[in-house]
Amino acid sequence: MVDYARVQKELVECNRDKDISGVSIELDNGDDLSHLSGRITGPIASPYEGGIFQIDIRLPGGYPFEPPKMQFITKVWHPNISSQNGAICLDILKDQWSPALTLKTALLSLQALLSSPEPDDPQDAVVAQQYLRDYPTFVGTARYWTDTFAKRASVGTEEKVQKLVEMGFPEVLVRKTLDIVGGDENLALEKLCTG
Amino acid sequence: MSDFTYLSSSDDDDNYNYSDYKQHEDEDDDEDEEELHDGFENDDDDEWNTSSSSSSSQVITKESLLAAQREDLRRVMDMLNLSEQHARTLLIHHRWDVQKVLAVLVEKGKDRLYAEAGVTVLDRKCLTSQSSSEVTCIICMEDISVEEVTEMDCGHCFCNNCWTEHFIVKINEGQSRRIRCMAHKCHAVCDEAVIRNLVSARDPDLAERFERFLLESYIEDNRMVKWCPSVPHCGNAIRVEDDQYCEVECTCGKQFCFGCSSEAHSPCSCLMWELWTKKCKDESETVNWMTAHTKPCPKCHKPVEKNGGCNLVSCICGQPFCWLCGGATGRDHTWTSISGHSCGRYKEDQNQKAERAKRDLYRYMHYHNRYKAHIDSFKLESKLKESTQNKISILEGKDTTLRDFSWVTNGLYRLFRSRRVLSYSYAFAYYMFGDDLFRDEMTKAEREIKQNLFEDQQQQLESNVEKLSKYLGENYELYDKGKVMEIRMQVINLSVITDKLCKKMYECIENDLLGSLQLATHNIAPYKSKGVEKASEFPIWSTKANIADSHDLTHNTKIDGVTVESNGPSGTQNNESGSSTRKHTNNGSGGSSKKQRADYESGCSTRKRGRREPHGDGLFDLNLPAEVLDKS
Repeated sequence: MVDYARVQKELVECNRDKDISGVSIELDNGDDLSHLSGRITGPIASPYEGGIFQIDIRLPGGYPFEPPKMQFITKVWHPNISSQNGAICLDILKDQWSPALTLKTALLSLQALLSSPEPDDPQDAVVAQQYLRDYPTFVGTARYWTDTFAKRASVGTEEKVQKLVEMGFPEVLVRKTLDIVGGDENLALEKLCTG
Repeated sequence: MSDFTYLSSSDDDDNYNYSDYKQHEDEDDDEDEEELHDGFENDDDDEWNTSSSSSSSQVITKESLLAAQREDLRRVMDMLNLSEQHARTLLIHHRWDVQKVLAVLVEKGKDRLYAEAGVTVLDRKCLTSQSSSEVTCIICMEDISVEEVTEMDCGHCFCNNCWTEHFIVKINEGQSRRIRCMAHKCHAVCDEAVIRNLVSARDPDLAERFERFLLESYIEDNRMVKWCPSVPHCGNAIRVEDDQYCEVECTCGKQFCFGCSSEAHSPCSCLMWELWTKKCKDESETVNWMTAHTKPCPKCHKPVEKNGGCNLVSCICGQPFCWLCGGATGRDHTWTSISGHSCGRYKEDQNQKAERAKRDLYRYMHYHNRYKAHIDSFKLESKLKESTQNKISILEGKDTTLRDFSWVTNGLYRLFRSRRVLSYSYAFAYYMFGDDLFRDEMTKAEREIKQNLFEDQQQQLESNVEKLSKYLGENYELYDKGKVMEIRMQVINLSVITDKLCKKMYECIENDLLGSLQLATHNIAPYKSKGVEKASEFPIWSTKANIADSHDLTHNTKIDGVTVESNGPSGTQNNESGSSTRKHTNNGSGGSSKKQRADYESGCSTRKRGRREPHGDGLFDLNLPAEVLDKS
């Protein structure tokens, strides 16, 4: 059984200083405390700066004694993150997990991973190769991906929200859905309609 | 072996094992004489049921597992002044290799040794003395009363519930042997006792499993210990002392090669044996032969062999077909052409292929036939065991002046052992001089020389074994006394000779053949005159006092005067005359004989791998039954 009391506390604790830390956690699916959604801001002075990255968090039954399962929802160009499915290669999410770590610390580690990739232990070989052989191109690609996928299409986001809200969807949900689909208005509408 | 053995030899029975081992090895050297003695005077040394009490290998049963583990634990505990659980953590980290622990200690120092293995030794044992009666457990984020929390040696303190949860998850993950502290980046291994207590309170079954994992780590993480491969499993494991290339017999009767856990197969190396059994099993050569010599009938698809004549072949089903292309033809043909049929001529190529396959097959058949023949003989001769017993009892009833028939049983055992060696030697030769393994190891000329050398020895051995077999198969129980004495002489002589030849052949293999390999390393179990060594029971006792007791015990039994040991490599090899040149060695001279043997061993040891130097005087008699020794 997941220790929900602890998860509750973690959520409160994490979101208390989210503006400073740059990481936050929300419930992803109603009241289900075992399925969460994390969000980290791209670290300053990295190709990910300015982006907001959405992370899917699932807590296994043994949490916190087993590590949480985390995966990038937002597409990222990074040697330790799969460009295909967002799978993360980070030791603390595997054998180096310790029950003393929290979701917040794990997200902070992910943020740190964004600013300092470890191309010698890659999840995505293609990205890692590029990182090692042609760093400028890597930075370019990573920045492009950040601009394309991790920025809430700064132009006209508010308009889209406005539009969807007018269709009768609650604003919070609209923002979240837009986030998930990467700012695409039509996709968001589709998702909202299907529930 | 390093100095360590010396350090520790006083407080465990390592010493004891070793000297036994030594003795056993030395037996090889003295065997020839002993055979003679056995033949002449040894009254009671009945090899049929000699349970060798002493060997370089030991059987570890469920019951003695704890004692076996404790033995190594104690060495480390005494050496480093550690608690049992810390010693265990260290040993598990170093796969139960005490020498390795010592080496790391010397090389890197105590702190590094401990840190790498996750051992934290606290000088002070104080709970973080907190004034408040409650502490916050950072795992469950609750305030817990001080009684409900546990602090590990590393100083990290969490509530008992969280610890228990953590332990359960780890045990279920199969990580019992190294459960680390819950704190991030803390590599300390948790206290066994704490784990035991907390887990058993929640789930006694799981605690038991934890206990078993810890115990079995001694077997599974240990280079020198292996499960007995018997099916159904006897539950035992075998521990060897210092040579992993050996053959052992478990107390359940299963004989096996310690290296690969398959049947005892020396002088084949493990790889050779693996290849050989596979080859024999899948009969791939037969398939090759069929491809080379037969063609499937185009109608009934049975393989057809051409036994002469022209290329128009008729299958047993009546269908004629062209041998060259395998296609069906009409019946009419002349000597030069088959009517209604013509095919191209790529005959050359096919012939070559067929030739090659044929050659390979014949080669394999040569070796396999001989291998099989000796195995078959071995099986047949095993029946001699019973008939021999009958013969002996007839002889015993007949003539009271002939009382000692150990030469028969000894001869028989020699025969069995030599047969074994012979049969495996053919599998060995197949690979040694074939292309499968050592194609690039030697030139054709070298190979030929070596092959001749080996085959000479093999043939000598073979002819002597056959002679021995012949004499033992005779109906000597019907003969008069003179003739029986004559046969006895022959059997004794042949036993000695075959033993020597076996030994020589092993030496040749180890030194000249496998020893000179450049590219590959093949090791074989050393030759044991006495056959596959029976692993001794692991003694549950392991204290100094007990060892001393058993020393005395050995003395007494020896003085009782049954087992006689002789020594001195010089002047005692007078096999032909059969005259007894043996010296009675009482226990007193045991020390000096040991020394001579040691000299002999160091002088002309044929073994490539390092052997331990002898230390301590082994007063244990090889022929002493285990029961006598085990009584403590």
